[in-house]
Amino acid sequence: MTTRIYFCVLFLTIQAFAYGQGLKIEGTVTAEDDGQPLAGASVVLLGTNRGVNTDAEGKFQITLNKAEDSLQISYYGYLSQVVKPSRQRLLNIQLVADAQSLDDVVVIGYGRMRKSDLTGSVYSVRGDDLVKNPAANPLQALQGKVPGVQISSASGNPGESPIVRIRGIATLLGGAGPVFVVDGVILDDISFLNSGDIESIEVLKDASATAIYGTRGANGVIIISTKRGVAGKPRVQFSASHSLESVANQIDLLNGREFAAVVNEIAPATYNNIDLLPNVDWQDLIFQDNAPIQQYELSTSGAEGRHSYYLGGSYYRQEGVIERSAYERITLKLNNSFKATSFLTLGNNLTFSQERKEFGPNVVASAYRAWPTNEPLDDEGNFLEVMGSGNPIAALNFGENYNRRLRAIANLYAEVKFLKDFTFRSSYQADLAYTKSTFFSPVFFVSPTQQNETSDLAKTARDEATWIFENTLRYNKNLENHRFEVLAGYTAQSTKREGLTGTIENLLRERPEFYYLDAGDGTTIDAFNNLESFAYISYLFRFNYVLKDRYLFTATFRRDGSSKFGPENRYGNFPALALGWRLSEEPFLQSFSALSNLKLRASWGINGNDQIPFRSRFARVNGNSLEAVFGQDESLFPGATLADAGNPDLQWEDTETIDIGLEFGFFDNKLTGEIDYFNKRTNRVLVPLLLPAHFGNGPFRRVVFNAADIRNVGLEFFVNWKEQRGDFVYSISLLGSRLRNETLDIGAADEFIQDGSLGNGQLVTRTETGIPVGSFYGFKVAGVFQNEEELGQFPTLSGQRVGDLRYEDINGDGTINTDDRTILGSYIPDYLFGFNFSVGYKGFTLDADIQGQQGNEIYNGKRAVRPELYNYEGYIRDRWTGEGTSDTQPRLTTGGVNYSPSDWFIEDGSFLRLRSLTLSYDFSSSLVRRLRMQDVRLFLRGTNLYTLSRFSGYSPELASANVLSSGIDLGTYPITSVYTIGLNISL
Amino acid sequence: MQKYPLTTLSQLFLLTLCLSFSACREDFLEIGLFAELEETNFMQSESDARLATNAIYNVLREWRYHGGFPIIDIMSDDAGKGSNPTDGIQILAFDDFTFTPDAASVSGWYSQLYVGVKRANLVINRTPEITDMSELSKAQLIGEARFLRALTYFQLVRVYGDVPLILTVNPERKVARTPANEVYDLIIEDLQYAAENLLERSDYPAEELGRATRGAAKGLLAKVYLFRSDFANAEKFALEVINSAEYSLDPDFANALSATGEFGSGSLFEVGATDDGFTQGGHQYGNTQGIRGTPDRGWGFNRPTYDLIQAFDSDDPRMDATIAFLGEMLGGIVLQGDPTTPDTVYFEGTNQIKELECYNQKAWTPGTTPLASWDHNVRMLRYADVLLIAAEALNENSKANEALVYLNQVRERARGGNPNTLPEIMETDQTALRQLIWEERRLELALEQHRFFDLVRTGQAATVLGPLGFVAGKHELFPIPQSEIDLSEGTLSQNPGW
Repeated sequence: MTTRIYFCVLFLTIQAFAYGQGLKIEGTVTAEDDGQPLAGASVVLLGTNRGVNTDAEGKFQITLNKAEDSLQISYYGYLSQVVKPSRQRLLNIQLVADAQSLDDVVVIGYGRMRKSDLTGSVYSVRGDDLVKNPAANPLQALQGKVPGVQISSASGNPGESPIVRIRGIATLLGGAGPVFVVDGVILDDISFLNSGDIESIEVLKDASATAIYGTRGANGVIIISTKRGVAGKPRVQFSASHSLESVANQIDLLNGREFAAVVNEIAPATYNNIDLLPNVDWQDLIFQDNAPIQQYELSTSGAEGRHSYYLGGSYYRQEGVIERSAYERITLKLNNSFKATSFLTLGNNLTFSQERKEFGPNVVASAYRAWPTNEPLDDEGNFLEVMGSGNPIAALNFGENYNRRLRAIANLYAEVKFLKDFTFRSSYQADLAYTKSTFFSPVFFVSPTQQNETSDLAKTARDEATWIFENTLRYNKNLENHRFEVLAGYTAQSTKREGLTGTIENLLRERPEFYYLDAGDGTTIDAFNNLESFAYISYLFRFNYVLKDRYLFTATFRRDGSSKFGPENRYGNFPALALGWRLSEEPFLQSFSALSNLKLRASWGINGNDQIPFRSRFARVNGNSLEAVFGQDESLFPGATLADAGNPDLQWEDTETIDIGLEFGFFDNKLTGEIDYFNKRTNRVLVPLLLPAHFGNGPFRRVVFNAADIRNVGLEFFVNWKEQRGDFVYSISLLGSRLRNETLDIGAADEFIQDGSLGNGQLVTRTETGIPVGSFYGFKVAGVFQNEEELGQFPTLSGQRVGDLRYEDINGDGTINTDDRTILGSYIPDYLFGFNFSVGYKGFTLDADIQGQQGNEIYNGKRAVRPELYNYEGYIRDRWTGEGTSDTQPRLTTGGVNYSPSDWFIEDGSFLRLRSLTLSYDFSSSLVRRLRMQDVRLFLRGTNLYTLSRFSGYSPELASANVLSSGIDLGTYPITSVYTIGLNISL
Repeated sequence: MQKYPLTTLSQLFLLTLCLSFSACREDFLEIGLFAELEETNFMQSESDARLATNAIYNVLREWRYHGGFPIIDIMSDDAGKGSNPTDGIQILAFDDFTFTPDAASVSGWYSQLYVGVKRANLVINRTPEITDMSELSKAQLIGEARFLRALTYFQLVRVYGDVPLILTVNPERKVARTPANEVYDLIIEDLQYAAENLLERSDYPAEELGRATRGAAKGLLAKVYLFRSDFANAEKFALEVINSAEYSLDPDFANALSATGEFGSGSLFEVGATDDGFTQGGHQYGNTQGIRGTPDRGWGFNRPTYDLIQAFDSDDPRMDATIAFLGEMLGGIVLQGDPTTPDTVYFEGTNQIKELECYNQKAWTPGTTPLASWDHNVRMLRYADVLLIAAEALNENSKANEALVYLNQVRERARGGNPNTLPEIMETDQTALRQLIWEERRLELALEQHRFFDLVRTGQAATVLGPLGFVAGKHELFPIPQSEIDLSEGTLSQNPGW
């Protein structure tokens, strides 16, 4: 009985009983640990449906039927107690917190659920694990922690969001990342969140768990719950850490002497006295060691009476290892919940953040290319011309790019409990973001190829707003052998994103005070402005049924309407069904005392993906770059015409997933684990196809159709061992997954999608029927032409000479041509694994997280792009110099035929990385109490300390948001090793 | 007491539901476009029609509208691939006739031409439905669109032969090829309409030079008839252009093709461009053929052959105006060329010159950066061409003496006052004169994308191009792109020999 009416009714009834034969009892319910009253605890007369809730002071009154009656007192997160008042009129009940039960509740879509009742594949990570990484983005702490989830840093650029792939890649053009749900608000990015504010992260993987998110759930869902105030003494927490980051390794490039010798081989007598040449290590010059990261957090939380609150603030600042790259973030978090009446709760979750990111030009590639025989500066400090692709130090000096993003996420909600088992919740949510970017390039001259004749300024403002209105009605019923939950809901969302960009040249002065369009030459102004807008309407439904705590059943249904699709295809239905069987609860397994949990579950369901541009369905008329030029003075006359063909029949991609899982626990759950098999097939995947040319869409222009099919099949597991022996606590967990990704159908016979642009015209990936998405594609090297005889004996490409790579004649037709290109590998790893280890003795704890992947390839694109003479990697030392000298490395060339896409550029991307190693010390409680504190913890941590990998670049962890073109290293900002010292204090 | 709060709750619930359903109205999900129109809403006013017409001209500035790489000249005896030996290696296949139906240049050109057809069809089909527009304005814009559609189909039919004849904006997916003579019927019909409805060149203000004119329509009509071997009509329309007194030859041949001669008196139809990227009005045609190396003006494709150099009389001023040689002074800079390109290539084992490093000077634009070369205006129809069409048609119509008038006009201008070259031709034997006119066409119009078509039209292709790899009965036409044949699922046939 949760509502006031019933309380009133009950009160009257109690009054009636009091005057009758009933026995009136009064009492207080408090928490055992800190003595704080527990408001809203349920007090039920055992064997009846009659009961009351405690008020804000934890007090209650109830009338017994007879003196022998018992009362059951329960409160969320505490162990239930049954008391027999006997003749006692005043009860004082202390409930003991149930650590176990807190752990056992997981957050799922639009609700919470006991872990034991789950039928879906949901992996839960608690807050403590999330703050183990000095990274700005909370997702980085999940690397190697969740089976079947690949989280990769696209680069080491400060503030860069990692790329997340849950159970493979199920789309080609659409967004392939999961959707995030932060305190109920659906988002596509969480860089604004401070890890310290997070209570838990739940990763929903199978359709039983994700189907409730309909068209948003196909790539998995990550639910993030932020901290709330809990009853008890208010908590104040402070933490500070300071880190130093450095590049972990350097690429083996030729030094000045070696390079000069090589140049002399290409163009004899270029350098006469090699020993007098400069010997410039460009990597040393662009990377700074011990770049600092600072992090501070302060929060307070608690619950008093009707009100619970959490207030947190944080500051994060990271200087990059390359000058002019930095990231700074300030966050403010405020969560409130207010029990207005016994049946009405109002609350809010608010997050406000400001991120400021500075990113210089990508000098990693230019440092890789720069000649080590060129000095960066002359004696007067002027920049000198550097051969290769410009002077990297000068490039750093002549370009200012930064942006600032303000973001506010709000969720205001009201929850009404009525008719005993019903809860109605209505929430209004907003996700507002405003981003302002500035790009400035001054006038400079370093060399004819590195100069800027007029100063350039570009300013962009982007205004994004999403509104969600969400209403759910929940019915919960717990009977002796049956538990039901029925959820029905309705949500509507509207999103608008407007961008405004202006560019101008010739600023009055080259100082930040002049980085405004008004400071430029008005005749050079150019502006762009557009709006993206879409909306959703969704109906959702879920039915959960648990019979005898053993047999579990879940049915989910969502109907989504999306404005991205035409009226005919607007709505989609996304059902899911799941069954679970807790074998360990069966009588026949009760005799196995070692077994503490055994659950078998199976699910089937369909999800959608609608992450496509909102206007793809329209055939559009616009006037972008359609001018005619007339007259001797060459004036532009604006034009407009049918510019982009649309496809009015577009619909979402749908992903059908089957998941079979086994969960187990032995020896009082000291040993726990889970194994899941999944088979995920995505149909109607959007794919760009050619239409007959007579439609007039233009050369090689494609139109997207729902025509491809992709399958991801995999197996994932984790096992965890946790034990305490006296003062000695330790835990070990091991997790891994196997994935097979295959494009089942690309939508048309002999079709393929080429991508993987190296920027020099070469496209090195291909997606076609029967192979993984975005596979590397090119020639296979069979050897090196050792002599003229071999050159005559084997088929050649035009221009090939002795010492060049000999490509395999794949189709055996006696010639080498484009038909001999083949699949060379995939960036998608076959195996992902993680190994986490923790040991504690008294106050000391040592944690180690190891993460790895195996079976993926990397295309070393930076090595392949050679339009002119660049510095070389060390492999050139092993080059072919005459018959029999090498059968793998060709002769020395500055470019040309050996640089055609081939497996000469493919490297093994497998790695094993010591992600973090932490030593922490909790100061003894007596000392801490004397300082009037609760906990004081000091820690030392190393991140990315060691990587075992055969890859020749900075880091084998490469990722790209574009699933058709990933795992290509074109000079990626390196991922760093970080050393951190930190302090956590709670009062 | 029991009822009151329940009612409140119900009300709250109902209120929320109402709010929900107000959002639930169907139009909540009906979100259209911003800053763009849906196709079905386009061309509702005269202003729309003008924009749509300008957008047809825009396609003429697209790189692939003229074949992308200058393949049609590279396939002739006038030019080789050019650039350096490794750049654009796939284009060599057009030099030695080894290209295949799946070559990107084959499908790219075809597709780009159909963009022109679509944009023209839009104006032709939807302008008549506009209510608030005078019939005169309509006829003018439709005339321009029909001229441009004819120009585009003329290219399609000469390159690919029978092609799908598309006259609507949203055609069927499967359209069979229409026989070339029916495509020509449409071209002639379009040009006749244009000739009747367009203004003369002199009626346009100077700032709108470049729009299709009556003279351009008639000149092109003459050319189309020439390609149909309808010499009576070719003569008729060529003479109408000549007698209109709208055009004259620029006394300086070099100037006629240079930047200063753009939209000059001898230009019937040319494509305007600015010295900037495509989106700012530039055209990559000149950049593709621009001098490679020093001075850096482009990629250096379409290298004039040694054969072409030798075809010129050494005193013919057109040779210097057509070919940029190493060591020549252009725009104040000595042309040094590309370091990775050999200055001279000899036939293997001989000292006989095969190729000299040189460039197409007709695509040259002065300036200081490679972007300057985007400024080049492609001359699609010149008065000299019309004069030579007149000469050829008159000769075929047994009017040799009249033919000589026009042939000698061209030579006289070319001579540039130099009495030692290009003597006046007096030949009246039809066969001999025909040959002389053809030779004149080659020299006058070299590297302007006419030679290959003329060789095929005059039946000389097998003889002239045979040694280069041309196969008679096959290479007269390009293949229909393989991708089109595949997509058509049997609707499209391939050209003979492919």
